[in-house]
Amino acid sequence: MKKLSTKIWGIITLFLVLTILFMYVLTDYLYEQLYVEDTQTSLIEVGEKLRTQYQGGKVTDDFIAEVENFNAYSNFDVFAVRNPRELSACVPFEIDYDALIGPEERQQLLQGESVTNIGYEQRFERQIISVILPLTDQNRLEGILYMYYPLAKISELANQEALFLICCAILFSCVLGFFVYKGIRHIMQPLNELQHAVEQMSDGDYKARVPVSTKDEIGKLSEAFNEMAAAIEHEDEAQKNFLATVSHELRTPISYVKGYSEAISQNFIGEKEKQEAMKVIAREANRMEQLTNELLELARTSNEQQIELYPIVLAETVREVIHLLNSKATNKKIHITTMLEEQIIVLGNEEKLKQIVINVIENAIHYSNEGSNVSILTKITKGNAVLEIADTGIGIPANDLPHITERFYRVNKARSRADGGSGLGLAIVEKLVKMHKGNLTITSEVGIGTTVCVTIPLMEE
Amino acid sequence: MKKVYLFILFIIALLAGCNKIEFSPIDHHHSFVASVNILQPSITFYDASKKLIAKWELDKAYTGAELIGQDQIILYGHQLDEAKIFQLSTGRQVGYIETGIGTTNAYYDKEEKLLFLTNSERNSVISYDSQFEELKELKLRNYPMSMASNNGSLYVVNYKDTILSVIDIATLTVKDEWTIDKSSNGVLILPEMNQLWIGGHGEGSKPNQTIDVLDLETGKVINQLQASIMPIGFSRNENTIYVTNHGSNELCAFTVQGELLWKTEVGANPFVVTTFQDELVVAGYDDHTIYYLSGQSIQKSIETEKGPFQLLVREV
Repeated sequence: MKKLSTKIWGIITLFLVLTILFMYVLTDYLYEQLYVEDTQTSLIEVGEKLRTQYQGGKVTDDFIAEVENFNAYSNFDVFAVRNPRELSACVPFEIDYDALIGPEERQQLLQGESVTNIGYEQRFERQIISVILPLTDQNRLEGILYMYYPLAKISELANQEALFLICCAILFSCVLGFFVYKGIRHIMQPLNELQHAVEQMSDGDYKARVPVSTKDEIGKLSEAFNEMAAAIEHEDEAQKNFLATVSHELRTPISYVKGYSEAISQNFIGEKEKQEAMKVIAREANRMEQLTNELLELARTSNEQQIELYPIVLAETVREVIHLLNSKATNKKIHITTMLEEQIIVLGNEEKLKQIVINVIENAIHYSNEGSNVSILTKITKGNAVLEIADTGIGIPANDLPHITERFYRVNKARSRADGGSGLGLAIVEKLVKMHKGNLTITSEVGIGTTVCVTIPLMEE
Repeated sequence: MKKVYLFILFIIALLAGCNKIEFSPIDHHHSFVASVNILQPSITFYDASKKLIAKWELDKAYTGAELIGQDQIILYGHQLDEAKIFQLSTGRQVGYIETGIGTTNAYYDKEEKLLFLTNSERNSVISYDSQFEELKELKLRNYPMSMASNNGSLYVVNYKDTILSVIDIATLTVKDEWTIDKSSNGVLILPEMNQLWIGGHGEGSKPNQTIDVLDLETGKVINQLQASIMPIGFSRNENTIYVTNHGSNELCAFTVQGELLWKTEVGANPFVVTTFQDELVVAGYDDHTIYYLSGQSIQKSIETEKGPFQLLVREV
C-alpha cells in the first residue's frame, strides 16, 4: 500500500505538471491571439495601402519596382508577383512546380478576398505569417501582393531553445518535486511518530508518548494521543496496584489464620491462649469476608452501567441506616444528630442508596474520636437533594483528599489494622452516586473533621 | 389485374431508368457549342443563337469530354475509373468504358472512327472501336495527354516528359519520338504546311511564351513563334490560327505561315478557343464566362457554370 505522503506528493507533482502544461498552452494562445493577430492586421493594412497604387490592367514593371522600393524600408517583406506559374494559373493541369499560391487560394483571391497563412513556408524555409492580396481586374488575377513576417521572434526562439526549455521545465519540476517531498515529509513526521507510538502501545509499552511541536490538527491529534496514553498508563498502573493491594489485603488475614490454626493443631499454645487465637482466626475470617464482599460489590457496580431508579423518601432511608449502625455508634459512644427533611423524595435505588449512606456513616463513626458527634442533614439545593454527613474526627490531609475515592487508597499508608477499613468504601460510594446521576464532594480539615456531601437529583414532579 | 401489370411495368421502367442517367436531350438539328465545366462538373450547351439549350449537371468529378461523331459524347475523369458515353439526342447513357483512374484526355479520330484515351497512371494510350471495345493499349512516356491525328498518324504529347510520340494508328505502334519542351500542351496540325504547332505552360517558374513549329515528317523545330504567356489552346479556320494564352489572358491570331496578325485580351485564364460558324469562342476558366468574338472584338459574353475548361463544337 502506498504511503499517504507518496499520494500527496504524487497529487502535488501532477498538479505542478498540469500547471506547467496549462501555462504553455496559455502562452501559446496569447501569442497566437496578440502577436500573430496584431501582425496580421498590420500586414493587411499596409497591403491595402500599397494596393491602391495598382491601377488595373497588367501589373507593370513600375508597380513591381515601387513595391520593391517600399520593401527596402518596410518592417515586413513585401513583393508583387505577376508570373502566372506562381499564381497556379495552370491548374487544373498538373503543375510540376511548387507555386506561391495553391488552387484554393487562387479561387479565394479571384473572389477578391485576401489570404492569410500561418505556418512553415518551404520557399522561405521558415515559419511565417503571410498575407496575400489579389491584384484583380475584370475577374482576372493579374498578380498578387505577397507580404510576410517571420514568426522567428518567438517561435524560432522557442524551436531553437526547445530542448533548453524542456530541460528547464523538467529541472524545475524535479527541484519543486524534491522540495514538495521534503515539505510533506516534514508535515508527515508527527504522523509517522504517532504511528510508531501507537505500535509501541499495542506492544504493551504504555509509556510511549509523541512530542507535540505544532498547534495544527496533527498537533492536536498528538496531544489527544498523549492524553489517551497517559490515561491508559494510569489505568494500567491502577490495575496493577489494585491486584497487588488485593493480594496483600488477603495475605495478611490468611497468614493469621494459617499461623494460629497451625499452632493450635500442633498444640504449641495453651488452652487459655487457644481461645484468644480462635477469636483472632474468627476476626480475620470476618475481615476476609468483608473484603471479598466489598470487592464483589465494587465489581458489580463497575459492571452495572444502569440501575433501576424509582422515588424514595430520603429521610426514611437515612433513618433505617442509623438504626442499623446504632450499635456501632453506641460502642464508640458517638452521638448521631439528624436534621432530616421529610418531604425530600429522590430518584434512587433503595439498596444502592442505603449502601451509600451506610458506607459514609460507617466511615464517619470509624474515623471519629470516642464521644464525639456525627451530624446528618438533608436539604434541597438547586433542585437536588443534598445529604450531608459531618463528623468531628481526625480529618483527611489536603494532599490525600483528591485520591480518597480511589480503590484501596488509605490516608494511613501503614495499612494498620487498627483503623480497619479496606479502602474500598468511598470508591464504591462514588460509583453508586454516579449511577444515581449525582455528585460526591468531600471537604475535610485535619483534626477538625470531615464533611461528605452527596447530591442526588430529586424526583421530577 | 391490369393495375398490377401496370405497376410492375412502372417499377421495371423505374429500375431501368435508374441504371441509365438521363439528361436533357439535344436535337439532331441543333448546332452547338458545349462548355465542359469542371469546378462544379456540368456541361452547358449553347445553340447557334447563343442560347442555352441544355445544362447537364454531372454527379461525378468529370474532368473532360469529347464528341464521338455527331450524336455521342464521352465523359471521363482523371480520378474516375469509368468513362461514360451518352447519346445527345436522347440524353441517355449508351455505353461505358472501364478506364481505371488516370484518364487525361479523349480524342476521336473522325477519319478512322476510333476513340483514343490517354492515361497518366499507366502512361499509355488505348484505342477503342465504335462499340467502345478496347482494341489495343500502347505504352508511352510520362503523362500522355494532348492528342491530334493526321493521315493515319496519332501525335501524343507526353506532358511531364520532353517527348512527343508519333503513333501509327493502324498498328498502334510508336513510329517516332520527337523532342519537345516539358509541360507542352495543345497541338495543332497544319497539313497544308506540313507543320505541327505545339504550345505549352513552361517549365518550373518560367512561363512559356512561344509556339514551336515542327516539321510534320521529321519533328524538327523549324520555327518558333512569339505568342504571349502560356499559349496552350489552338483552333483554326481556313486561313487563321487562333491561340489562347492563359497566362496573359490573350488571344493571338496567326496566319498559317506563322505571322502574328493580332492579339487581344479576352476572358480570365482562358484555356480554350474554338471556331463556331463565323465566330470565335473563348472560355474564361476564372471568370466562368464564354466569349463570342468576331475578329478581335467581343460580340457577346455569356456567364456559364464554374470552371469552363473545354469547348466542344457540333455543326450540322
